[in-house]
Parts: sequence; C-alpha cells; structure tokens
Amino acid sequence: MTLIQERPGGPGEPGATGLVAEPLTEIVPGPRPRGVVKFVTSTDHKQIGLNYLVTSFIGFLAAGIMAEVMRTQLIGPNNHLVGPASYNQLVTMHGTVMLFVFGGPFAFGLANYILPLQIGAPDMAFPRFNNLSYWLYLGGFLVMMAGFLTNDGAADFGWFGYAPLTEAIHSPGPGADMWILGIALTGFSGIFTAVNVITTTFTLRAPGMVMFRMPIFVWNELVTLFLVLLAFPVLTAAMALLWCDRHLGTSFYDPAGGGQPILWQNLFWFFGHPEVYILALPYFGVVTEVFATMSKKPVFGYKGMIAATLTIGGLSMGVWAHHMYTTGAVLLPFFAAMTVLIAVPTGIKFFNWIGTMWQGVLTLNTAMLFSLGFLVIFLCGGITGVMLAQPPLDFQLHMTYFVVAHFHYVLVGTTAFGAFASIYYWFPKYTGRLLDEKLGKISFALMFIGTNLTYFPMHDLGLRGMPRRVFTYPVNAGWTFLNELATIGAYILGIGVLFTVINIFHSMRRGQIAGDNPWDGQTLEWATSSPPPEHNFEILPPIRSERPLWDANHPDQLTEVGH
Amino acid sequence: MSPLQTGVLATYWGSPKGVTTYSKLIHDLWSLNYYIALPIAAIVLGGILWCVVRYRARPGDDRKARQFQYHIPIEATYTIIPLILVAVIFGYMYGIENKETHVSKHPGLVIKVQAFQWGWRFTYPNGHQELGSVATEPNINDESALPVLYMPTHETVQIDLSSVDVIHTFYVPEFLYNRDAIPGVKNQVDFNVTTAGQWIGECNQLCGTYHAFMRFEVDAMPKAAFDAWYHAQKPNSLTIAGASKS
Amino acid sequence: MRLEMRTCFGAALFLGIVCTIYWFWSNEDTGTACLLFSFCAYALMGSYFFLQWKRRKGVPRPEDRDDADMNDGEGEIGYFPAASIWPFGIGLGGIFLAVGLIYGMWYLLIGGVFVVGSIIGFVVEAEAREEGPADPGMPITATGDNPPLTSFQVPSSHSQGA
Repeated sequence: MTLIQERPGGPGEPGATGLVAEPLTEIVPGPRPRGVVKFVTSTDHKQIGLNYLVTSFIGFLAAGIMAEVMRTQLIGPNNHLVGPASYNQLVTMHGTVMLFVFGGPFAFGLANYILPLQIGAPDMAFPRFNNLSYWLYLGGFLVMMAGFLTNDGAADFGWFGYAPLTEAIHSPGPGADMWILGIALTGFSGIFTAVNVITTTFTLRAPGMVMFRMPIFVWNELVTLFLVLLAFPVLTAAMALLWCDRHLGTSFYDPAGGGQPILWQNLFWFFGHPEVYILALPYFGVVTEVFATMSKKPVFGYKGMIAATLTIGGLSMGVWAHHMYTTGAVLLPFFAAMTVLIAVPTGIKFFNWIGTMWQGVLTLNTAMLFSLGFLVIFLCGGITGVMLAQPPLDFQLHMTYFVVAHFHYVLVGTTAFGAFASIYYWFPKYTGRLLDEKLGKISFALMFIGTNLTYFPMHDLGLRGMPRRVFTYPVNAGWTFLNELATIGAYILGIGVLFTVINIFHSMRRGQIAGDNPWDGQTLEWATSSPPPEHNFEILPPIRSERPLWDANHPDQLTEVGH
Repeated sequence: MSPLQTGVLATYWGSPKGVTTYSKLIHDLWSLNYYIALPIAAIVLGGILWCVVRYRARPGDDRKARQFQYHIPIEATYTIIPLILVAVIFGYMYGIENKETHVSKHPGLVIKVQAFQWGWRFTYPNGHQELGSVATEPNINDESALPVLYMPTHETVQIDLSSVDVIHTFYVPEFLYNRDAIPGVKNQVDFNVTTAGQWIGECNQLCGTYHAFMRFEVDAMPKAAFDAWYHAQKPNSLTIAGASKS
Repeated sequence: MRLEMRTCFGAALFLGIVCTIYWFWSNEDTGTACLLFSFCAYALMGSYFFLQWKRRKGVPRPEDRDDADMNDGEGEIGYFPAASIWPFGIGLGGIFLAVGLIYGMWYLLIGGVFVVGSIIGFVVEAEAREEGPADPGMPITATGDNPPLTSFQVPSSHSQGA
C-alpha cells in the first residue's frame, strides 16, 4: 500500500506561511495569439482540449437530432416520415457520429485538458502534434458528414458496415467512401492522441507523482489510450482493404473474387470491441473522481480499481467475436468465457464506487447526480450484457432491439451521463464560473427519465422479435405501444440535453464565480486558478498520495493507514 | 414450462413461448440468468440508495467522512463471488450452445433457404420452390404476400442457408434462434418444431434499402398434413407469394 | 521507468497468452494475426522502456520517487511552443488527400503540397529554436528555486462547497 501519511514538517505543525513569490516554471515571455488565430494555432493542451470538447458536443447534438428523426419515424407502424433509404443513412450516421465524433473524442478532450493538470505537467509531451490530432479529427468529422450533401446520400449500411453490403456493387456512390475516409482521419487523430497522452503520462509527471499516486481518471485514460493504440490501426487496415475492394478491383471481402465477408467482421470487431471500452473507461474515471470528491473520501480500493481497469482493458482485446456468434464461424466457448469474465472486474468497480460513498459526506449536486444516474443505468446495461454474452441467448436476441436496449443503456449511461457529469464537474475549471444547479438538476431529471423511458421498452421489443434497423413495422406486429413509449422517452431525453445546453450558454457569462476549488477537490487540477494559467501551476503541493490537494488542505483527515 | 420455473416465477421472462426442442433449455437459461441478476441488481441498487439516503450532507451536520481506503476481506468477497457466478452461468450454457449448433447427419428433411435482396427462396428436395420478395409485397402490413416455409412438426428439419448477394439473417422469433446467411458460406441449422402453428420470420441483418420488407412465414404442421401438401407440389414447380391475388 | 516497462510487458504477456490459447483452440487466422500484432506492439513498447531503464541504471526519476519534492524536478522540461500553424497545414492537407481519394487524383497533389510543406515547416520550426531568437512560450524550465514547503496555502480566492 502506498499510503503516505506524513507531510513535510510532520502532522500538527502550524501551517499557512503564505504564497510562494516565484513561479514553479519559467517560460520565455512574448505576445500570445488570440481569437481565431488562437483557435487555429494554439498548442496549449487546454485550448486543444476545449476544441475537442466543443466539437464533439456539437457532434453529439447532430447525432441526437438524427436519433429524434428516427424515433419520430418509428412512433407508429407503416409511417412515412422518412423513406427506407434516408432512414438507413440516419441510422448509419447516428451510430458513426456518436461513436467516432462524440464518444471517443470527448474523452480525448478530457484527457487533453485534465490529464496534464492532474499529473502536475506543464503541457502535453508533443504540443504541436496534439494540435494536429485535433485538425485530423475535425477533418474526419466534416468529411463523413459531407456524405449527406452528395446526391446518393451518406453511408447507409450501418455503423459497422458489413461487407459485402459495403462493396462498390451494393453501395455505389461517394457517401460510403466519405464514411471510410472520415473514419480513417478520426482514427489517425485518435492514434496520435494516444501516443501523446501515453508519453505525457510516462514522462511528464511532477516529482513525487509515482504511477500509483496518479488519480484514477488518469489511469483510466491511460488504459483507454493503450486500447486505442491497438484497435485503431486494425480498423484503419480494414478500411484500407475495403477501399481497395471498392476502387482497385481487389476482392478481400467479396466472395465472388474469392474473398471472405467474415474477414471484415473479424477485423472490424477486433477494433469494435475495444472501441466500446474506449468509450466507457474514461467515463468510469470521471465518475470515480466525482464520487471521491463529492463524498469527501478517498477512492475505495484504489489499487483494486487499477487492477480492474487493466483487466477490463486486457480482456476486451479477446472478446471481439461475441458480436459474431450467429455467423457460425466463431469459437463460441472461448469468446463466451472471456466475455462473461469481464463482468467480474466491472463488478469490482461497482462495489468500489459504492465503497467510495460509504460513510462519506455526500454533496448531491448535478455532477454527483449524473454519476449516480450512470451507476443505475450502467447496472442495467451490464446485466443485459452478461445475458447477451451467452451464445444461446444471443442466438435469440442477436440484431434485435434487445441489443439496441443493451448498448444504449451502456453507452448513454456511461458515455453520455459520464460526459455530462464531467461537464458539470469541470466547467468551473474551464471557465471560472459554476453551472446553474437548478437547470442542471432539471436536465438530469429529464435525461434520467427520458433514457429509461426510451430504452427500457426496447428490451421487450427485442424479446418480441423486432429487428434492428427497420424503418417501419407492420401494424399487427404488436410493437406499436412500446415504440410510442420509446419515442416519447426520446423527446424527453432530448429536452433534458437542451437544458444543459441552455445552462452552458447562460453560465458562461452569468454563472457564479467558482474560484480555484469550488468542490473542495482532491486532485491537482484544483490546485491552480480557474482557468489555469499558461504553464498550469504557480505552486504545487507536495505529492505524497493520490490526493495531494486534499492532504494539503485537510491535514487532519488523511487517509487511514492500513485500512 | 421448464423445471427452473415454478410457482410465482412461472413465466417465459418476456420471450415468446418457444416452439422447438431447444426452447425449454433456453427458457431455463433465462430463468438462471434472472435468478442471478435480480438479487445482484437489488444488492447494488440497495447499496447506492442506502448511501444516498444515509450519508448525504445535511445542513448543520458537521459529521466528518471516514477516510478508509481498503478493506481486503470485502474486496476479496466481491471478487470471488462474481467469479463463481459467471462460472456457473458459463457451465450451464455450454451444453446448450453445443446442442443448438449441432447439425445432424441424418435430418428428416433438408430445405435450402436462399436469401437475396430483398426476399427469400425456399427450395424443397423435389425442386419445388417458394419465392417471395419485396416486389410481391406491396405493403408491410400485408402478410398474405409473404413466402411460406412449410415444415413438418416432430422431425429434424435442416435449413441450408445461403445468400446470393449480401449478408442476411434467418430469424423466427418463436424459434428463439438467429442464423446468418453469408454469401460464399453455407450455414446449416437444425430445427425440430414441437407445436403446429404459423409464425412470421424476418431478415435480421441490415441488407439494403428494403431490409424491413424481407419477411416470410413459417407454417409447421403435423407430418401427415405436411406430406399431403408436399406430394401435391409438382417437382421443380415454383410458387410466387401473392401471385394468386393478382 | 520500471512500472511503465512492467505495464507494457504485462500487457504483452497477457496478449501473448491469449493469442497462443486462441490459435491452438480455434485455428482461426484473422484473430490470431490481430492478437499477434497486439502482442508485438506492446512488447516493442516494453522493450523501449526496458532500454531506458537500463540506461538510467536503476536510478529513479523524480516522478518515480515517493519522497521527491518540486526542487528535484529542476531543469529544462521540454519544448512547448505556444503556437504553430504547421499542424493546421498538415490537417488541411489530410482533408484534401481524403477528398482526392474519393473525387479525383488531382486533389491529391494539392493535399500532398500542403502535407509535405507543413511537415517541412514543422521540422524547421523545431530546429530554429536551437539558433534563432527565443520563441514565445518555450522552453519551460523548472526553476528549482522553490523554498521547502512546510504547508501549502491555497490562494485566498478559494471557495468551498457546491
């Protein structure tokens, strides 16, 4: 155990000698860019982090609007709001944008902004490379969305683009190519971010910040980016082969030329499964930070959390074919065993979160509410995940709305609620102002009710046999009422999101001033001004545990030794 | 009803009542899942609610939070118990998946099912075909124009799945079973239907614009009735769904 | 560097074991190839950290020591320019390359010019710092003048609670 209970000077020594006059680091002075030039050229990790956060949130809203259109189309049987071709484009781009533009990049934005602060670094290891990552990401976003502007429309074969539906003969038109290249660009952006963040974490920590004193958020981002390094190159390779099939006459995936559609599925899901953990692990880190801070306690089972995160990361590399159980080409027991095993470290994390709150003093503000909402929603998603991990049950439920319910519970619960928790938690650090609590609580309530009302009926829809990606359904299928509930839930969820958007715009100018440390936070990002100065820190407290600021501010409440 | 489901818990847990010989096994597996999942969910939710209610900060309350970080016995407990539970689940379902994927060498009847954009063609051993596609199905509400897969009950029927263009999936909700039809790959699956009836089947993999229309019907009947129907079909004849209407 | 090395080698070991089990149990090519690639990637990273560790002869860096304080981190930390146009140039070139792969090879020329030109600018910018006038915003040097802290006081603008 690495619990350091002594501070320089020993416990009980009278404190408060005042500020240190000289800064921690020295930089060459000079004029700095402002405005649009700053947006384009700044290499400051905080600016780039904000770029990512804002752009990915715009992507979230765009994909959310696509979802609202889809749900409106599905509110009744045999509806004709959008035709089948347009619906297929919406369903594809909703998934693609949510995953490649919002889920991952929002977490990369958090890593950019918060991670160097939490480890006491002045910036990222490769600041200009960091800036490049952002431009590649924005380029990818624009290219894939530009498909909507073409005559044949955007990609329309589902976000996992199974070959041979994606071959040139079945999906002619540039929309598919824009999808391929958009994903390739965002993929490169992710790989470059991974290189940057891993290097920063390994080489730029402040003195005393050993690996086992890093905050859980940093560990989770580190494991996430380890996964990115492995998964995205495989995706890019798969996309390259697809592009060759479409344009150079090769037949990697085309059975007519001797290729195998299963090859695409294997390559894609080798990426696809770590991808969903890339979408989840950073937000596990966010809620861990929120739970610890808002309970005024250390993270319970700190080393167990790290072990669980590493285990989840490792296991996630070996479960990809559980998306392919019904192909008949998969070694079922291997993947079933690996997949049900992931429930164990996830369960450990759950109990550690409860342990973090146990006997604490809980502040139930909006960030904490979103984190609690995540716990409840992800619990349901995790349980349905264990159900789907079993091939006999997956044979029944594969590609039905039960799967849609499962992954939306997991993704909305983790990625969306985690992202919103991070917004309410760290907005004061980005801007120096607090978000309004009343608007925040209304937003949470609507989003929580909306999420459950939208996705819970989908479990039953799947059990009754409603397939995925159908633009309409017959009147006597018995699916109408549940679809109506889901659509109403989707509208409530959308309105809840809007409340946070309004909150952000309102609070940017008129929010209550936050100061350095509005939450009595424990980690280093709260040890500097809001927003932090250019080199991040004027002074740093001594780092003797994973919550150095708490130790400095509450010398009478250090972590209990031994227990 | 299967042995694990008794009394108050006698239910199919939301699934349609399965009609094949695998169905009892699957309903039992669902029961096992719920018997494990519901208590765990109750414990976790209970823990969360307890913390929120009992430990929230109240105005005027100057209680200090306890600063413990580890409790190895509890941590070990909630590592080992879930491990045991997932091992139980895995062990229980391992036999079931083997049974479901087993393909018999001597099936009673072999039907070739060919999926295409956007319809189905069922070919019987004597060459008779049932064909239906979106072209014959004017309206998604119209079930009279769907191709029909006739099969006998209480006999091992082997479905030979194939596709001519993209990946489709053969799915009948009441069979509790999905299998992909992948171009270039022949997938075989056995069914032994235990009750007579008619059920709707669907294509369960996005396969292009009219994916939602790619439905079919299964008509299972006792062997005598099936034989009567089968012998009435001329060899290599073709029935197009909905054709009799126009 | 030891823990970094062990993390990478640990990941490589795990992936290697999974790859071996998977190959002998399933004989499936694609998954084995992907797992093998993953093993090699982390073995490579772990080897780099191993060499770094060896170079330091086991002397821990300040950030690897439990009892380090801020003065131990004295010295130049790195090259952190405040602003640079070259990443934008490469990104813009990337978009043109993407469009070129879809719509016409001539876009690739424009994209290529942007990418290659920006990479050159990128590299030259880093070298110019060795000789030319100081670039605003870099380098960052830890001053090492920090007095030993007996306690840490957060500036008076600190506020508590939610």
